[in-house]
Amino acid sequence: MTVLAEPPGGRTLRGHFNHYRRWLGLVPLLVLTVAFILPILWMTTTSFQAGEKMFQLTTDWIPAEWHPENYPNALSRAAFPTFFLNSTVVSVIVMVGNVVFCTLAGYGLAKFRFPGDRWVLLAILCTLMLPLEVTLVPTFLVVYKFGWLNTYQGIAGPLVIEAFGIFLMRQSILSIPSDYIEAARIDGAGELRILWKIIVPQCRPALAVLAVFAFRDSWDQFLWPLTVISVNEYRTFPLGLVAFGEDYGTPPTEQMSIAVLATIPVFLLFAVLQRWVNRGFGLSGLK
Amino acid sequence: MAGRSTSGEIAAGDAAYARPAARPFWRLHFQRRITLWGIGFVLPTILFFAVFKFGPMVWAIELSFTSYDMVSMPAFVGLDNYRKLLADPVFRESLVNTLVYIAGSTILITVASLGLALAINTRVPGARYCMMAMFLTNLMPIIAVCLVWRFLLHPFGLITQLLQPFGIDRVDWLTSQSTAMPAIIAVTAWRFAPYFMVVFLAGLLAIPKDYYEAAEIDGAGGLLRFRHVTLPLLLPTIFFVVVISALLSARIFLMPYIMTGGGPGNATRVLSMLIYETGFSYMKMGEAAAISVVLFAIMLVFTMLQMRLFMRGERVHG
Repeated sequence: MTVLAEPPGGRTLRGHFNHYRRWLGLVPLLVLTVAFILPILWMTTTSFQAGEKMFQLTTDWIPAEWHPENYPNALSRAAFPTFFLNSTVVSVIVMVGNVVFCTLAGYGLAKFRFPGDRWVLLAILCTLMLPLEVTLVPTFLVVYKFGWLNTYQGIAGPLVIEAFGIFLMRQSILSIPSDYIEAARIDGAGELRILWKIIVPQCRPALAVLAVFAFRDSWDQFLWPLTVISVNEYRTFPLGLVAFGEDYGTPPTEQMSIAVLATIPVFLLFAVLQRWVNRGFGLSGLK
Repeated sequence: MAGRSTSGEIAAGDAAYARPAARPFWRLHFQRRITLWGIGFVLPTILFFAVFKFGPMVWAIELSFTSYDMVSMPAFVGLDNYRKLLADPVFRESLVNTLVYIAGSTILITVASLGLALAINTRVPGARYCMMAMFLTNLMPIIAVCLVWRFLLHPFGLITQLLQPFGIDRVDWLTSQSTAMPAIIAVTAWRFAPYFMVVFLAGLLAIPKDYYEAAEIDGAGGLLRFRHVTLPLLLPTIFFVVVISALLSARIFLMPYIMTGGGPGNATRVLSMLIYETGFSYMKMGEAAAISVVLFAIMLVFTMLQMRLFMRGERVHG
């Protein structure tokens, strides 16, 4: 990355300037970054503010008075621990489902030839235009027929495989030389063993990206749980948070506390998988 | 199968060394077994999409010709639902809003994410960390995004505070007809631009450096190099970003639902909100299905574009 050479000579004035000039480019970038993360900072600082500070025409970026009790207060106002648990269960199911099935399908479509494989690929591409928002009514009826209303499988079911993941995995597996697979076959390795020992280790970046996005997408679901869940035991946190906001008289600062708590798991997952995600980023742009 | 077993018999009778162990009839041919494994890997996905994507799509089209309230059986009504929709001013408004929203956010997302990617691609030290920080906006739960921005865009919120020094008085961003939709589009860009920035970065990194060096030797300045090297080579990526962000925006629900509730009036009501309300508040499943079909038709256009792009990419890859 650093193609710029060290300043020539014994650091003349010009050399010094050249040396530091490259840092100068950081200034506009830093301004942009701050502009982008300002709302996140605002959310965090507001979650510690006193309730009445919200709409005064100044923003204390560092609260004059800290109110960490916003957090326990908010959590106790509605069944948020349950809501978070529900969201976690559903998102983990969706994440694992996507990682497993998208890897299988991606592998099958990248390295195997079978009659109609092109059509399968196109059909999967077509599902991009069939998100739950479009097929809301009939998908609801399908889940209803299965008797899955007000269950975890009802929320997670339709999300367990996403076309995005399949294309991501296929793209990633395409770049693995087929010779490796052939060699393993000649050595007598079973197909599942090849998948586990050769394909999966080479796809870690893509798998990490897939895990983060699948978790986030499921964590974000609102319309679908709103449609299939009507009892408190199975509500996910976004439903709880909206009901909480509509509840007149709940301080917005406490809403922000819940929002912060909801943000933490996604950021954490990102941080944990970040080592691989960074390398996998390049892939997400391909298809 | 039969043909193969005869050849097996011949081989067995011919010489023992030609086929050391006679293959039992249930053992498939090596190549065929691999093909079956391939099908097996893809099969769960095919079944899943049949049940949860294509089945519902067909069902939606079917339902759109019926009147159904989940209590009595669906009754065939022909094109009545569509006729009703066309006559409904709220539907027409929502359709226009959806199209405006798709156009606005797609353009803004594409321009903003390309700009961000170019800024990151200058490779100033620390650019990587800036990229990661910006990407956080894409990971924040969308419900949190909506709630935070609803407060920020409040007439006494942070945006008003930040604009005050520039002599801009308080604006009722989310509650006035002219600004509600642009405000939601801006928030959408804030949310999604960092994701597409990463996509663009991947595209930028794929451009060989020699091209820039050659252009530099020819005396092309920064702007000229962007116009004649970066832009043409980035065209497939731009196309991809446009299509995907259009598909993303077509399904928008939560942002208008939380930030404006579809208001003021119907200024930010979009089709997905209408589907939910018609289907689940008024229990008019048939009519909701008809709206779904309209939304589906919009997305079909972009998917066709995406498919063309995809096929071209496949041909290049071989």
